[in-house]
Amino acid sequence: MIFLTVGTLFPFDRLVKAVDMTIGKNNGYEKVFAQVGKTDYELKNIEYTAILENSNFDKIMADADCLISHAGIGTITMALELNKPLLVMPRRKKFKEHVNDHQLATARKFEELGHVLVAYTEEELPDKLRELKTFVPKARKNQAKKVASRIAQFLAEANLERYGR
Amino acid sequence: MKGVKIDKLRICLAASAGGHLTQLLKVADTFKNYEVFYVSTLDSIAKTLERKGTFYLIGECNREHPFQVMLVFFRCIKIILSKKPNVIISTGAAPGYLLCLVGKLFGAKIVWIDSIANVERLSLSGRLILPLSDLILSQWPEVAKKYKRVEYAGTLI
Repeated sequence: MIFLTVGTLFPFDRLVKAVDMTIGKNNGYEKVFAQVGKTDYELKNIEYTAILENSNFDKIMADADCLISHAGIGTITMALELNKPLLVMPRRKKFKEHVNDHQLATARKFEELGHVLVAYTEEELPDKLRELKTFVPKARKNQAKKVASRIAQFLAEANLERYGR
Repeated sequence: MKGVKIDKLRICLAASAGGHLTQLLKVADTFKNYEVFYVSTLDSIAKTLERKGTFYLIGECNREHPFQVMLVFFRCIKIILSKKPNVIISTGAAPGYLLCLVGKLFGAKIVWIDSIANVERLSLSGRLILPLSDLILSQWPEVAKKYKRVEYAGTLI
């Protein structure tokens, strides 16, 4: 099952329509389920819902074989942690899909590091979707402890400064 | 109990729901020994955060909707005045910035961890909070290098 999600904030019709059209043209695809946000667009070829509750979302993510999403860091993180192949399309400021183009930079960077596949336009989507079936994402080394250490050091100093211990 | 001295920091953890919050929670264990409360932007994650500590909802806003920004700003003032945190730690986005701004005005120390999504330069909120921050981190060494006070301490993801 392929899970398509547009994230928590805004709909992303350009991606949803492109996936819907691609699935419609080719019956060789497995099941796709989509979380599409609050949109008026009615998908023709895929089962979908607007919003998913957290526990439901987590379950569907865990069950999915691969993922399609906007280039949101939250989804990219989850995909890397669950080791699921992920295809992203960055939201663009010019299409009023986000307030700036940081998703474009995120997509490029994570593609460069081998963590995700990227379809920069709707035209690229069908080929990338085919590639997704055999894509093996490069794993990411977790460094959260290092950041936590730095913050812990800061807090200890602040605590000392304020309370003398 | 009368006469008991409270000698640990009161920390406010603030992040927009989604990727920002996911990243902030990666270092949540760091704050175990302090008094902590959470501020975020979506009602749907209240249940998750309430298990960890008191939760306050401020709603979402961004640079394109100034009226929303004002609303969130006033909610931040309300929280800061009532809770008086000593430290505010945020990964953004705009609501996190507003809370840090108000917090600084009332004497809190500010820790800003710029989201890993900002791979080329600091986010707008990050750039705005930079002069007011006490510790500011980027998760990309090449970004940290661009700013005098920004440190690189690793990545949360």
